[in-house]
Amino acid sequence: MDQSASSPASIGLDAVSKSYDGRVRAVDAVSLDVKPGEFFSLLGPSGCGKTTTLRMIAGFETVDTGRIRVGDRDVTDVPVHKRDMGMVFQSYALFPHRTVAENVAFGLRMRKVPKAEIEERVRAALALVALTGFEDRRPGQLSGGQQQRVALARAIVIRPPVLLCDEPLGALDRKLRQQMQFELKQLQKELGVTLVFVTHDQEEALAMSDRIAVMNAGRIEQIGTPTEIYDRPRTRFVADFIGEINLIERPGGKALAVRPEKIVLGAPGAVLDGTIDSASFLGGQTLYRVALSDGRQMLVKETNAGERPVRSVGDKVGLAWAAADGVELEA
Amino acid sequence: MSARPDAGHIAYLAVNGAIITFLLAPIAIITVFALNPTPYISFPPVGISLRWFEKFFSSPEFMGALWLSLQVAVVVLVLSMVIGGLCALALARGNIPGSRVLTAFFMSPLMLPAILTGLALFQLYLLLDIGRPVWGLIMGHTLVAVPYVLRTTLAVLHNFDRRIEEAAAVHGASPARVFFEVTLPLIRPGVFAGGIFAFIVSFDQFPISLFLVMPQGETLPVVLFNYMKFDLDGAIAAASMVSILMAVSVVVILEKVIGLKSYVKL
Repeated sequence: MDQSASSPASIGLDAVSKSYDGRVRAVDAVSLDVKPGEFFSLLGPSGCGKTTTLRMIAGFETVDTGRIRVGDRDVTDVPVHKRDMGMVFQSYALFPHRTVAENVAFGLRMRKVPKAEIEERVRAALALVALTGFEDRRPGQLSGGQQQRVALARAIVIRPPVLLCDEPLGALDRKLRQQMQFELKQLQKELGVTLVFVTHDQEEALAMSDRIAVMNAGRIEQIGTPTEIYDRPRTRFVADFIGEINLIERPGGKALAVRPEKIVLGAPGAVLDGTIDSASFLGGQTLYRVALSDGRQMLVKETNAGERPVRSVGDKVGLAWAAADGVELEA
Repeated sequence: MSARPDAGHIAYLAVNGAIITFLLAPIAIITVFALNPTPYISFPPVGISLRWFEKFFSSPEFMGALWLSLQVAVVVLVLSMVIGGLCALALARGNIPGSRVLTAFFMSPLMLPAILTGLALFQLYLLLDIGRPVWGLIMGHTLVAVPYVLRTTLAVLHNFDRRIEEAAAVHGASPARVFFEVTLPLIRPGVFAGGIFAFIVSFDQFPISLFLVMPQGETLPVVLFNYMKFDLDGAIAAASMVSILMAVSVVVILEKVIGLKSYVKL
């Protein structure tokens, strides 16, 4: 049976704000547009407002000001249970008193889908997350990874136009997380569902997303593809939060940002000169800390491939990079 | 194995054995007295007979009291589960200002000596001139039974992952359906666990009942107390045995029917 979404919906947030108890704004005039079928991540440190934003899209939180649109429908004042969304939670939030099959069937039962069709769709959804044969187990009898698959099946079985994920892989160990990242991305592509993904893990966001909104202190700092966010950070916060970066201060509070792997080491007399302070062998790459004459430190990553001079601590080196690889940050 | 852990293990067993003996000794003694045919309570027993059970079950006074106690306890069980469960939900979920103070207030019947509660209710009923109806007795019992349900239900609600309710809501359940599909089934073990205490508190209730029963409508503990003032024979022990068995069967039945520990970590 076809498990694909009825039809993926776009999501639009128009200057959405939310504050609690008159304190600072948890979410401050956030505007964004998610395209139908897009894998869209909200990325930022804890307390940046990403989860609150997701919870407002789901309808768990009301907005103070602004509008939320799903497809052509303004859902700002629509209660949670009428927004027709699927959602996966970090804590799985399975119904502990129900079997796996009953958990997955829940949304269909609420939608008064005929019993025979429910059975068929639950079976198909469980097959999709590779849990065939687990129908009669209770959530408490499953591992964390299996529980998260049940939660995923419960969310997609209703063929939602929008799938919301609140740090869904955060409770899994590293290896399982990487595997689930891959599977979730595959599933999203297969189903073609619009997916909004909240995470504080920048690697996860870079690996999975079509586009990322980097959030900080309730505001969106930058929206872009993973490549744009990584190669062309607009603000200090984004540059610093995503990966490793060298910031070279400029007059007027501005700064130039260069990624460690974009710097080429050569003979002294280049853009900047310095002395190798330490070298860490990372396998595929070696990370050097280079002390400049004015006391600042630069990170340089060199790929371990082909013939390269052997460098050791104390060597004098020159640092250079292509003009296009230096990014001017906003003050 | 060395001798030291063995010594420790023996001490551990000894302490636990002593505690269990201490807890079970009264029941053992009552069993002996209930089965001993002598017309007064004596030791050592001279034989085994069911004459005291026969006396207990053939006495209209005892039977009437037992039946009344059971009826009252069942009504108290239901009332305290409804009131205590709803109170717990309101206190844990209602965003009520001063909910901590209110919780302490609802728990306060546990802090007061029951005999004071009984006296206070007695005077209140006298002031209101309503006599001593059975529902007045039930109210008195419910007053001290509700805190048990309140406490066990609050404990469950305290550890309740509200994301589970949110998951139900986001997948299409209206607030009423969230309550009946998720909230109620998940707090039910807490409510019933408190309900068992409520039943026992009412069935065994003496100080409050003492003030609130009518002479012709006494509950079993009051009848036993009055009986003991004049007779101290094996019928008392037999009645105690029946009371204990009654309480145990209620716990077992509730456990079997509801499965208290089936899915909730208490």
